[in-house]
Amino acid sequence: MTEVLKKEKPKYEVAKIGEIEVGGCKIVKVNGRSIGIYNDGEKYHAIRNVCPHEQAELCKGTFSGTTMPSKPHEYIYGMEGEVLLCPWHGWEFNINNGECLGDTRYKVKIYEVSVENNRIMVQM
Amino acid sequence: MEIAEKKKSSKTRIDYGIIDCDVHQTINSYEDLKPYMPRVWWDRLKEPGGTFPSLVWRPIPLTRRDASPGNGLLPGSDPEYAKKDFLDRYNISKGILTGSLLTISTHNNPDYAAAVATAFNDWTLDNWITHDDRWLASIVIATQDPILAAKEIDRLGSHPKVCQVVISPASSQPYGQRWFYPIYEAAVRNNLVIALHSGGEGEGINSPPISAVGQPTTNLERHNILPIHQMSQLNSIVCEGVFERFPTLKVVAVEGGLGWLPHLMWRMDKNYIAMRKEVPWLKRKPSEYIMDHYRFTTQPIEEPENFQEMIQMLKFMRAEKTVMFATDYPHWDNDDPKFVLNKLPEEMRRRVAYENAAELYQLNDIHSQ
Repeated sequence: MTEVLKKEKPKYEVAKIGEIEVGGCKIVKVNGRSIGIYNDGEKYHAIRNVCPHEQAELCKGTFSGTTMPSKPHEYIYGMEGEVLLCPWHGWEFNINNGECLGDTRYKVKIYEVSVENNRIMVQM
Repeated sequence: MEIAEKKKSSKTRIDYGIIDCDVHQTINSYEDLKPYMPRVWWDRLKEPGGTFPSLVWRPIPLTRRDASPGNGLLPGSDPEYAKKDFLDRYNISKGILTGSLLTISTHNNPDYAAAVATAFNDWTLDNWITHDDRWLASIVIATQDPILAAKEIDRLGSHPKVCQVVISPASSQPYGQRWFYPIYEAAVRNNLVIALHSGGEGEGINSPPISAVGQPTTNLERHNILPIHQMSQLNSIVCEGVFERFPTLKVVAVEGGLGWLPHLMWRMDKNYIAMRKEVPWLKRKPSEYIMDHYRFTTQPIEEPENFQEMIQMLKFMRAEKTVMFATDYPHWDNDDPKFVLNKLPEEMRRRVAYENAAELYQLNDIHSQ
């Protein structure tokens, strides 16, 4: 019931399909907020462009993979393209849920993205 | 709720000046130094890293990706960009340039190292100091040959914008020893502060490893333990009586951490009572020399979960007298002025943001023109 009553958040066009290359990130201003739109090759992600640590422009960092939890001196590389590294202190954020891998108390806001008629839309 | 959003409500305005005690200007390539160096050294500049040895692999690049002036230029290589991206953006009153030659003490050839230092200093004065009145310069010296280092200090020491001499705490022998006296004599003669800024620990000719027990495996482990060099040099400088020999000398530990000082200081004072007879030249407790002669910069500020614990540490080390603000712009672990200063109690904030540095560098007397 509550689902039905919940007011749908508006959608904003942020880019056209083909505008953001695979692995690329376009920084846009939506509703007064700076957002990074990242193309991982399969889908688009919308990430708030503010690091929760010292408020650096997070989306100017790099998208990469990282080492997964392992035993001492075992190296397992994973999450290729799913980790955003802050350009300042290198804090790693999971672009799927916004959580900081090193300290989950810190979280960056991520937004719903949809593609409609060749347009990339962000809901916020 | 996100932590970023919580912070907004506690923002306060910093309505006094900020002196930043650690800003890094850099060359894009060692070959930029050619015009400032004799031909004999040019071929070495083309080699990787200008032939300065380094083992460090950095999981996070040294300089901030978002601070590049563009066109592939290195962050900190363009004074015009740094003026907008740093001085103007953060409303910095004075920025003390500490350079990017902090591994210079690793080189096996003291003449080459000294020539690179001289070239870098001239490059800084030509390209940065003339560019904006808010910059002040550190001159870098190669400690391999203290006589050559003293000559460099005398060559530039009277320049009105030169306020300190920067060296790395990485060395082959402790800095309190008499071998280094020519450097302290020259610094005092030229009314310059000595700054110790991390670089080249455990590399090249610096035989003591990065940690006291051997070379660590990762940069995380290396970076955690860097302050051990600052601790070792402070311990040596105080115990060897450098401040008795040079009563006007001032030393700054830059980017070396803060919280270790109370521990070391208390330990030194306690041991002094028992072993004073070994160092009869010390007329006062070691902590008294530290309070009068040593200063410490904030970045990278320690961030315990409860910052009140850090405030306590700052009180233990008399931060209202001994601690000075620094960003470390444009390096990866730089601190935003508001992020650090807003956490401090008002009286301490003013001292740390401006007054301690203004007093140390006599900014209102000498460098204010």
